[in-house]
Amino acid sequence: MASGLIILFGLTMLYLSTTSRLMAHIRTLAFQGVLLFFICTLDFANHPWYIGVFLGIETLLVKAILVPLFLGKVIKKTRSTRDDDANIAHFYCLLISSVILFGGFMLSVVEIPSLALINPICFGIALSTIIISLWLITIKHNVLSNVIEFITMENGIFLLSLSVAKEMPVLVNIGVLLDVFIAIYILGLFVSQINKELGDMEVSHLSELKDCE
Amino acid sequence: MISIVLIAPILFALILLFIKNNKLNNILPVIYAILHSCLGLCYFIKPDFIGNIQHFSLNSSNIIFYIVLSIVYFAVSIYNIGYSKNLKDNFTPKKMMHYSCMILIFVLSMTGGILSNNLGLAWIFIEATTLASAYLIYFNKTKHSIEAAWKYVFICSIGIALAFVGIILLTIATETVNSLNYADLIENASLFNRFWLNVSFVFILVGIGTKMGLAPVHFWLPDAHAEAPSPISALLSATLLNCAFLVILNVYKVMISANCLAYARTLLLVMGFLSLFVASVFLFHSKNYKRMLAYSSIENMGILAIATSLGGVAYYALIIHLIGHSLIKASFFLTGGNILELFETKRIKSVKSLILIDKKTSWLWIGSFLGICAFPPSILFISEFLIVKTFLIQKHYILCALFLFLLTIILYAMAKVVLKMVYGEKSQEKFEIAQSNLSKINYLMYIPQALMLVLAFVLGVYIPKVIDLTIMSTIIG
Repeated sequence: MASGLIILFGLTMLYLSTTSRLMAHIRTLAFQGVLLFFICTLDFANHPWYIGVFLGIETLLVKAILVPLFLGKVIKKTRSTRDDDANIAHFYCLLISSVILFGGFMLSVVEIPSLALINPICFGIALSTIIISLWLITIKHNVLSNVIEFITMENGIFLLSLSVAKEMPVLVNIGVLLDVFIAIYILGLFVSQINKELGDMEVSHLSELKDCE
Repeated sequence: MISIVLIAPILFALILLFIKNNKLNNILPVIYAILHSCLGLCYFIKPDFIGNIQHFSLNSSNIIFYIVLSIVYFAVSIYNIGYSKNLKDNFTPKKMMHYSCMILIFVLSMTGGILSNNLGLAWIFIEATTLASAYLIYFNKTKHSIEAAWKYVFICSIGIALAFVGIILLTIATETVNSLNYADLIENASLFNRFWLNVSFVFILVGIGTKMGLAPVHFWLPDAHAEAPSPISALLSATLLNCAFLVILNVYKVMISANCLAYARTLLLVMGFLSLFVASVFLFHSKNYKRMLAYSSIENMGILAIATSLGGVAYYALIIHLIGHSLIKASFFLTGGNILELFETKRIKSVKSLILIDKKTSWLWIGSFLGICAFPPSILFISEFLIVKTFLIQKHYILCALFLFLLTIILYAMAKVVLKMVYGEKSQEKFEIAQSNLSKINYLMYIPQALMLVLAFVLGVYIPKVIDLTIMSTIIG
């Protein structure tokens, strides 16, 4: 069951890499949050009860509800609906993301003694999610897209922490939560300001600071 | 005492928020700077008063970093009294209150990062520094400052997230040990899974290295340092980079204990030389004096990485280089702040004949340049001399030649700029603007830099035994 949800989580990254509609990105983020909640719930036995409750609240409340709601408001406020100017066409985006995801699957079936302490499928998908997110950040031109991909990267890191088959120090869980807050902070403070200052959300407008004149 | 140092800035920030008194905006940061320094003094005079708590301690491995933060913050808070008089003309009292609050929170997050003896907690504080300093970089609210702050937050957040991946991988490497406490990690390092330890070091080095400004992940640094108000640039360069470096140094100690030294050394050496190379190329084409200082910070972080990788005598050089760079670079940035107030531009071309306008600022500018370029008796002369000596002892002749070559390019590039700015032929228009702005510079905007430079040059001639012993204990600790 958990493996099925993890694979579904990986497939959401393929959807993210092929769509340019920002609302679709946000719905995918919310869906990822719900998936992470269920993955956490199934993994509940591996954690003390208070960590389990903390992770449940964090995934369902913060990742699945609050962050997507907040992002939706920003999109309405900035009237930015699409990110059409990616450096690479959607077909190639899908192809490259699929290759990365396939690499993650392959990693999960290879038997390496060093991987004994981790859940291979969770680890492989988490790693490919992080790589796909980082890659999408480099090819997308919209500030909001960049923030959304940053949050999917955080989701990948969260999945990575779940892949470790041992009790994680509490600080690691706090760290995951803090990362979500920094994403909200980036949104709250900068996205609206950038829109106000530049009139749109194009990243290429943020390139005036140079060493040459 | 540690608890007081960690709680006081929050209390002070709340007082500033609720009482809204303009005078307090300057007084409370200075009071906190004194309190901050008192903890450092306690380490030498009354160690019982330190009061180490569960996740925070002042010990032999972080005392130098803490003292450097105390001194630089004290100097900056004094400079700020003079500087904020000019800011008040352009900003509302509410904004000035926010400025003081965020400085307190920024220093708190750096202090927490230095004092924490747990890798996870140090990571949280490093992330907190991003939150606090982003507002300060964006303080001027110009198009350029928003660009710099955006790049800073976004690049550093990705870097810190990657460092977090490194921490997760480290917990895999630790196998049966369920702790991120540095002492536990070092004690049990020999039992760790070496494969995962090596992988985690790469992530932590790249992630925290982003915050430290090591090439090739340094891109935020020139923009943020150049666009932030000058006292903030001084704090960013002279203290924030050190905090990030301390985390890398502590993880490096784990690598040493786990016998994974060769791998970590190679990575640090490559990033160190890359930083020197990037700095030398960009310094050679400097058009903006604050960006020049930022690239000089990248250069010096590169030197710290190289010294760490060399080991031996270079460890001693590493600590004194860290002290010297922080003191001199803070002085350099604050003096750069005076020049910006006078000429109202960061363009090197537009700043000429500084010596005819403000002799004190000119001599501070030249003194800072001589210090940072390691002219004897600057303390950096000793550190760089010791690094060269270590290269020769370890028979890395080609690397030694490359190191000296890159430093020579940097010296030439900076000398060219500094001398042009001080003695270059005056432009009447800019000269008149600077003359009219001379009243903006008060004595509080000279004294902190002068004191830090004196300290850096005196330490180059004589290092008191107590400081020498502290440096030695930092190396061993």
